[in-house]
Amino acid sequence: MEDVLTEIPPPSRFFKEDLNNFTPPSPPLPSPFLLFSSLDKPLRSSLLIIAISSPSLSVFHHVATKTLIGTLILPEIPLSGNSIEPSVRDKSCNIYALNDVYNSVLLVSVQYSVSAERSHAIAKLLIGEQIIPERVLIMDSVQSRNFRGKLSPDETFAFKLETSSERKEHSDGSSSSPLLKGLDYFPSGSMVDGLAAALLSQCQMRNIKGTLCVSWPEFGGSGVSLVKSIIKEVLPSLEFSVNSDGEDEYSKLDQIKDHPFDSELYT
Amino acid sequence: MEFIVEEGKHLNNDCSTLVLPALSIGNVGQLAVDLLISSTRAERIGYLDDPYVLPCVGNDAYGPIPRGEVALPLEAYDSSLNKLTLVQQRSPVLKGMMVEFAKNLAYFAADSGKKHVIVLSSLDFGQWQRIDMSSGSQIYYISSANMDGADDDCEKLGWKKLHEYNPAQRRWKYLSTLAAGNAMQEDGLAFEDELEDEEDYYPSLPFAALLSCFKAKGLKVTCLLCYCSEGDNIPDAFNLADAACKLLELSPQNFHGDQGGNWAIPFSWKTVYGPPPDMSLF
Repeated sequence: MEDVLTEIPPPSRFFKEDLNNFTPPSPPLPSPFLLFSSLDKPLRSSLLIIAISSPSLSVFHHVATKTLIGTLILPEIPLSGNSIEPSVRDKSCNIYALNDVYNSVLLVSVQYSVSAERSHAIAKLLIGEQIIPERVLIMDSVQSRNFRGKLSPDETFAFKLETSSERKEHSDGSSSSPLLKGLDYFPSGSMVDGLAAALLSQCQMRNIKGTLCVSWPEFGGSGVSLVKSIIKEVLPSLEFSVNSDGEDEYSKLDQIKDHPFDSELYT
Repeated sequence: MEFIVEEGKHLNNDCSTLVLPALSIGNVGQLAVDLLISSTRAERIGYLDDPYVLPCVGNDAYGPIPRGEVALPLEAYDSSLNKLTLVQQRSPVLKGMMVEFAKNLAYFAADSGKKHVIVLSSLDFGQWQRIDMSSGSQIYYISSANMDGADDDCEKLGWKKLHEYNPAQRRWKYLSTLAAGNAMQEDGLAFEDELEDEEDYYPSLPFAALLSCFKAKGLKVTCLLCYCSEGDNIPDAFNLADAACKLLELSPQNFHGDQGGNWAIPFSWKTVYGPPPDMSLF
């Protein structure tokens, strides 16, 4: 055991390996890839929604009119334990077509944790190559480790970040409105990392209208209700299944992605 | 790495000097570049899309009132008035990919016609071998102007060449080989079995990878270094940014801020060390 009095403490903002040119790299992993039921590629849509946070996954799970059209395979994520019919407990990243009256909407439900190291590759897969959206909406949670304001478990709120082309769409003099109305911009000084950040970055760099919505709290019925109200503003004609009361259903699935009883040993 | 020009903007060929941070203790290089971008009112001209930089996004870092302009992890800014390009890096590099990342940056710098690169970095006070009581704010440097790293221009400014820089040392030589593309990083695994000595610290740092890779592309490079401990590193950032200005012959008096010397504090610095304390406790 290290002697806390005499050992040099590690830097707290970096891991030692972050500041060492000679750290060996991690073993390379096979590339992620997309599988689609349809041969018509690239897929075009007026809106691509990517649900990452547990509340958003719960909300979209209860959308009545969606059709499974594809999936994203991340080779290091085992498929054992997944069910034949899509389930909220699956470790999967399924792609659905939402049957919306006015728009062609694609939904990606990211039901496994994506490491920061893999986020760039996945974001490039989902945006701009095989899927070409006019507009993108990413739903994630406020990350407490990266947020510089106060986070109370009793509070419910959401912020947004928009790409330049999305902001230009509804700038002064334009008749268009933002995709998400009534949400403040994410406070400066705080950050979002991981897959959501990689996706919004790709939108910004490819000049795609993109919006990232981060909500709080990360789990719980109040978060689900907030996300549901945000989605209903974006897609008012979207239908939810009966008994889609997020408060009751969600209380049985506290954390969709990192369920404490998930284990590769038990399938 | 792909350089993507922001819509309506272009690379200014007159901006022949590039300033960028190296990841280092206390994030001092990054804080110094923040200060320079904010104070020179440099304009964002594009992004660098690199698979080796971890993703992150945030709201406009500079203000004075954030307008919802999304900030990305690796961005390029131009200050045409000062003939200067600045690259800001906001997140770490993938484990083990620092040299590859440095090579990508060197390609970008060479392809975009840069002549001089200034790398800003801090060094850990815990590794300070030669106690110099003259001043805690002493600036050290390593330059590509001469083989031994010395540079008359830097000496005239009262800076000291980093005494521990020894290009013949095994790890510096290995870095040069990697930068030139003459070895794979796996070849260096032999180092793992050897005991580290004091001389191994400096070439292991990210600034050393940048120095080696920029040199390999034939660019003039000056690394500006200062010792610090981790804590409130804003004074260290001012020290390093001021040193960069001296080398660039820029006067902070001509900047647009309202701080002493007309520095402009980036808006994002208001919460750089976390939110204010919860006063309801008292």
